[in-house]
Amino acid sequence: MAATAIFVAADHIDAPGSMGTSADIADYFAFEPTTGSDNTVFLVDLQSDVLPELAYGTFDEDVLTEINIDTDDDLVEDLVIQAIPRDGRMYFFGPVAPSATGRGSEVAINSPLGDVAISGSTAIVETTSNGVSLFAGPRQDPFYFDFFRFNEVVAPSPEDNSGFNNPGMDTFDGANTMTIAVEVPNTLLGQTTATNVLGVPVYKTWVTTNRKQ
Amino acid sequence: MKLNTSKYWLCALVFTATLLSCSNDDDNDMEPIAMATCDDGIMNGDETGVDCGGSCEPCEIMSMDPDFSGTYAQVDFMGRPGINTVLSANGDIKDMHNQAIPSEMGAMFQPGFETQLEALHDAYAIALGLTAADVDYQPNILGDILNGPDDDGFTNNPVSAEVLTTVLATDVIEVAPNAPTTYFNPGAGAPTYDGGIGLTGRTPQDDIIDVSLILLFGGGDGARFNGEGGLPLLVSDGVSLTAILSDSFPYLGNPE
Repeated sequence: MAATAIFVAADHIDAPGSMGTSADIADYFAFEPTTGSDNTVFLVDLQSDVLPELAYGTFDEDVLTEINIDTDDDLVEDLVIQAIPRDGRMYFFGPVAPSATGRGSEVAINSPLGDVAISGSTAIVETTSNGVSLFAGPRQDPFYFDFFRFNEVVAPSPEDNSGFNNPGMDTFDGANTMTIAVEVPNTLLGQTTATNVLGVPVYKTWVTTNRKQ
Repeated sequence: MKLNTSKYWLCALVFTATLLSCSNDDDNDMEPIAMATCDDGIMNGDETGVDCGGSCEPCEIMSMDPDFSGTYAQVDFMGRPGINTVLSANGDIKDMHNQAIPSEMGAMFQPGFETQLEALHDAYAIALGLTAADVDYQPNILGDILNGPDDDGFTNNPVSAEVLTTVLATDVIEVAPNAPTTYFNPGAGAPTYDGGIGLTGRTPQDDIIDVSLILLFGGGDGARFNGEGGLPLLVSDGVSLTAILSDSFPYLGNPE
């Protein structure tokens, strides 16, 4: 089994087609910010400076980031939250039923969620009148993984087959990423009939980046 | 200024009956009655915008809203961390995954994921000088959480390689609106896994690498390949969170 020279978990340093481009999704988080909160937070990390040859530092105006949310367990998005930059601001749209599902997208201009100035080193946060928080800008990349050792772990040999080291070394210590963050009241997402394998009601979600045609 | 005030008052009275116009250019603090200027900061007279259009310089056509028109095609995708990169066996499959949609993913990726999961185990068999049967995938602890433990921890455990890769092939992150966010927590651990829970979301601090490794390589008690007894350490990469997070939105620290 041959190990590809560079492939890393959580989509950092991604597959050849999107590797190192401004549209590269490095990571994705979805969580409630505190126990019992009635909000859900979505963090989309685009790009990474973990290696010098990767695109990093500017949101691309031709790239539409789309958070997809399935609320009836058919694995088709019932709602989208979109983000796209223009002139130093990040514009958000949704949560709204998309005009088309699947691989093609259009900006839901009739459902603006708000917009926020793209931050520098210090976070600029916009809170809208319906309780939505918005952010876009560079952040510390929270991902942690011993990437260099992993490349050896997936290609073991009689000489080197001990697996990971303990302790290992975090390849992403000091790395930064371009984050798009949105926190929404769950009332904006509505009810869900989807469940996880343990039977807990969940929103099923994924994120895509989409390039203007 | 009484004289001027009287003059303008008289003009106002007369204006309605005659076509007399009153000049206001000799008294700056009297409100102009009729003449607009192109630099008074007011849209007035025949202007079509503030101080532009009509008799003034033409207004530039300024779009008040940015242009969001056009169609956008998917170039990258992500659901759970690590799935495409660990279980897609080559670059072509990874590229295909990045342009896939969840409703198609099960059929498209489950067989290859299962093959890759077994191949990762076989690679260690070869490297360790063992047979493939010694180092096959063993059903993992997720089954015990789902169904309770069996006598030996994994007999009749439904989370076979086929079941696990079926779950993972449809690559979505579940987030629960009404349950605490837990990527995966084995609770009390082997053998009962009391309180075990997971798949309700992912926070920046979750050790998703170790969770993934445990589910892929941990076997019936989550510690199958734990680096002891000559076996490789495959259930942990030995690193913890190094980034600074934040208690407040957006929950990630300033760039370094």
